[in-house]
Amino acid sequence: MKNRLKVLRAERNWSQQALAEELGVSRQSVNAIETGRYDPSLPLAFQIAEVFGLAIEEIFIRE
Amino acid sequence: MSEAARLPLHRRPAFWAGGIFAAFGIISALRMTDAIGSTTGFILMVIAMLQIIPLTRASLAKQRSTGHLSPAIVRYTRRFLLASFGYMLGLGIAVTIADRVDLSEIESFLIALLPVIPVLGMIWTMARYLIEEEDEFLRHRAIMASLFGLGGVLTLGTFWGFLETFEVVPHIWAWWVFPVWAIGMGLGQCWMALADRRANDGLGDES
Repeated sequence: MKNRLKVLRAERNWSQQALAEELGVSRQSVNAIETGRYDPSLPLAFQIAEVFGLAIEEIFIRE
Repeated sequence: MSEAARLPLHRRPAFWAGGIFAAFGIISALRMTDAIGSTTGFILMVIAMLQIIPLTRASLAKQRSTGHLSPAIVRYTRRFLLASFGYMLGLGIAVTIADRVDLSEIESFLIALLPVIPVLGMIWTMARYLIEEEDEFLRHRAIMASLFGLGGVLTLGTFWGFLETFEVVPHIWAWWVFPVWAIGMGLGQCWMALADRRANDGLGDES
């Protein structure tokens, strides 16, 4: 699954650490999701969407 | 230059892990050649095991710097450290008693339990970690590392068993399964860390 996490984060000028703290996960988790090495669970995907104020499908794209 | 390369030697986990393996290797060689007795060997093993304290500190510092640290990992590390010392103590007492006392079957059974109880503590610690870890990615990594270790011990154990059957290799005691599984788990973590590093080299990681 592809995602726009890096772009969305850059638009808001957020670091991986800042996003990780917002989500209550490790920075490495944000990094792994961003680089496509890990697909988050549905609850975490909802949480990410909520932080960015977007719908899940606006962040995660099915390949 | 990588972050690990910038760290002084005593702050690198690999330095202390290497120290433990080297010390165990030397002590085992001394024991096998009868250069030292079982009591001296045990005392030296305990001293070598003390390196686990700086190893733990260096590992936690490294995990913190790479964004892998969570409160559950800190608790897991503390519990595992305690269980490791319990294992060394149980093993030392069991071997010392077995060497000096003529034990009955039931006494041998009870003595064998001494190092097994801390091993149960280690397994409980790992189970608690999977329950307590709130970060799903870190939990996923721990499960993958455990499966890596399990795959390794099952493959090696089965292969060795057949080699034993065909009388190619000598017999190995079954208590080796836990350390081999734990080593496999550690190798699994290293392999994932390398994969992370490779992915980040290509995409640009933020520390």
